[in-house]
Amino acid sequence: MGKKSRCNHDELFTSFIRENKENFYRLAYSYVKNSEDALDIVQDSIHKAIVSMDSLQDIKTLKSWFYRIVVNTSLDFLRKHKRVSIVDAETMEFISSGSEDHYEDIDLERALDQLAPEYKSIIVLRFFEDLKIEEVADVLNENVNTIKTRLYKALKLLRVELNDEIIKGAN
Amino acid sequence: MDKKLDQLKTEYKNIQIPDELNFIVERALLKGKKKKKKNGYKWMAGTAAAAVLFIGGLNISPAMASTLADMPVVGSIVKVLTFTEYKVDKEKYQADIKVPAVSDLENGDLAQSLNDKYLKEGKELYDEFMVEMKDLEKNGGGHLGVDSGYEVKTDNDQILSIGRYVVNTVASSSTIMTYDTIDKKNQILLSLPMLFKDESYVNTISENIKEQMREQMKADENIIYWVSNAGLEDEELFELFETIHKEQNFYINNDGKLVISFDKYEVAPGYMGVAEFIIPTEVISDILVSDEYIH
Repeated sequence: MGKKSRCNHDELFTSFIRENKENFYRLAYSYVKNSEDALDIVQDSIHKAIVSMDSLQDIKTLKSWFYRIVVNTSLDFLRKHKRVSIVDAETMEFISSGSEDHYEDIDLERALDQLAPEYKSIIVLRFFEDLKIEEVADVLNENVNTIKTRLYKALKLLRVELNDEIIKGAN
Repeated sequence: MDKKLDQLKTEYKNIQIPDELNFIVERALLKGKKKKKKNGYKWMAGTAAAAVLFIGGLNISPAMASTLADMPVVGSIVKVLTFTEYKVDKEKYQADIKVPAVSDLENGDLAQSLNDKYLKEGKELYDEFMVEMKDLEKNGGGHLGVDSGYEVKTDNDQILSIGRYVVNTVASSSTIMTYDTIDKKNQILLSLPMLFKDESYVNTISENIKEQMREQMKADENIIYWVSNAGLEDEELFELFETIHKEQNFYINNDGKLVISFDKYEVAPGYMGVAEFIIPTEVISDILVSDEYIH
């Protein structure tokens, strides 16, 4: 590989980051729910990407490669700060069972946050970041069928939570 | 649902972008470039140096093995012991793969084929893990874990059931169980089809499991299986449980009951874990070849 293509990679990378920085920020924010931490994650992800740029074999996979770095950095952060229960046993534990005066959009957001990370990541990447199933699979290091199954189940879990909220809200 | 998703998406897109983002991104791009020129490989080298890798045989030493063999065993002669163990212990990557071995089975061919299978699968698991780990390291890192081992489910005069589990951890975990059930008296490996007169067991058992699923769901709202007619909404979106496989995972428990096992995610959401159903013997007694194993 010549020097020229390496330079091209760097340029492409820089403009890719500049163009999509808001997406990366939102993605990080959706995990950590805090502006300062989300900024840290964007910064860390860029560092990691630049340092390990050599491992990016095909520039076409830049998008899923970098998304993967952001997702992993976010999950690492959560693990270190123990703000998320990695155990999916809690996935279906319904929240705010006693409260009555809540707003629906808050419930929606909460329902999404209640999903285990592997489900939430799929919803965020597929529906909010508009990635193709194949790209989501690439980002999350899973095969396409696994992602499809999880996507269905994620929607299912989301729906169960929401319906339960609505039922509880009506009581 | 689509409306709700759209609403969620709007909320997501409305996440406010702080003014500092631009500055932080530009600084990271600039700093990254400088850093790369100076010590581009230091980060990678650090990870590699910190890696501690054990590949060890736990009970592999002849002395250890003979000690085990000499120990008096009450009740049964066939033994299951850890033959070897693969271990990786790094900050982000952990593997612990225990390979069992069956010993003192009179039918040497059976023991050999089981042990070969265990060793082969254990080795494959380890090799896969190493490949994935290197892949992840190259691609900016992540977490990876695999934990594999075995438990003796049943060990009585007649039956030895060994369950081997593989727990994969990426963001969450998945569990796969595999059972081998041996008839100790006749020294044969049992399979599900050979226990029954014909293939009708597939339907009989499946129907019974569906009933059990529905009953459990009715009794406890926290229990969910992917099964029809149990009050699940949008059933059509999911792959509902239809029938067991002809060679579905099973073992025979200490009470001589048939237990059918499903992997995590196979018939229920992940939080339900591995699902097991004890099949009441009266349901299958008509189609059993004999009541020797199951009664």
